[in-house]
Amino acid sequence: MVLCIAVCGVAFVALAFGAAMRSDSWNSPMQPKLPLVKVAAPARFFSDRVPVSPVVPPLQVPIEVLLLQIENHVRLEQAAAESFLAFPSQALLHSKTTSPFVN
Amino acid sequence: MTHELLNGLSPVEIEQVLKLGTRLIVPSGASLFRLGDPADRLFLTERGRIKLTLPMQLRGREEDVFVEERSPGQTVGWSALIPPYRFTLAATAALFEAEVIALPREALLQYFAANSAAGYKIALNLAVVIGHRLQLFQTMWLREMQRTVEVRSA
Repeated sequence: MVLCIAVCGVAFVALAFGAAMRSDSWNSPMQPKLPLVKVAAPARFFSDRVPVSPVVPPLQVPIEVLLLQIENHVRLEQAAAESFLAFPSQALLHSKTTSPFVN
Repeated sequence: MTHELLNGLSPVEIEQVLKLGTRLIVPSGASLFRLGDPADRLFLTERGRIKLTLPMQLRGREEDVFVEERSPGQTVGWSALIPPYRFTLAATAALFEAEVIALPREALLQYFAANSAAGYKIALNLAVVIGHRLQLFQTMWLREMQRTVEVRSA
């Protein structure tokens, strides 16, 4: 009788220990890394039929025109800077330029 | 003609300074000095306009880009009085022929040594010219930086 109770007790303790160890392993930060699963990209049907927009190079103005644009920009910026120096204020310092070169 | 560099000088002093110089005619588009040239003369603009430029790479080509323009009465080439005595810009006569008075540095320094009161006034006037240039370009630099920041953070 005593032997039967002892065996049952040992078996119960062993089961409880095993259950406790399993729950610890779940909470452990040393979890095995799961393989990353790539999300399958949505299928692109007829993708070869999608028209590819041609790369349009920006319209190049003649260099003489570009030089004049730069000169005009510098003159406008100098005028803006002169206004700021006459009456220094944050608003005048950061006033929006009217120069078409950067707008 | 009133020259900014000679503000506050007596008529006699002005005449003495101007006598140190030589009048030069600069045809339209002709060079007064180039970037990096030894700066041994300072110029007072008498007539026409002097265009100041700096080289910039545009589409693989070096082009002179407009920086500033000096009108009659204004000073050009103050590098002649500031070490290392090299021009940091290029100067050409703008659309029309220009006339300038070229003042050699050595003659000016000798005059300053002999006439310290006049030399002091000229030095102060030069500080105004240089200071204005500094403030102007400091402001322009900040405005360009502000635009760059706006473009980059857009």
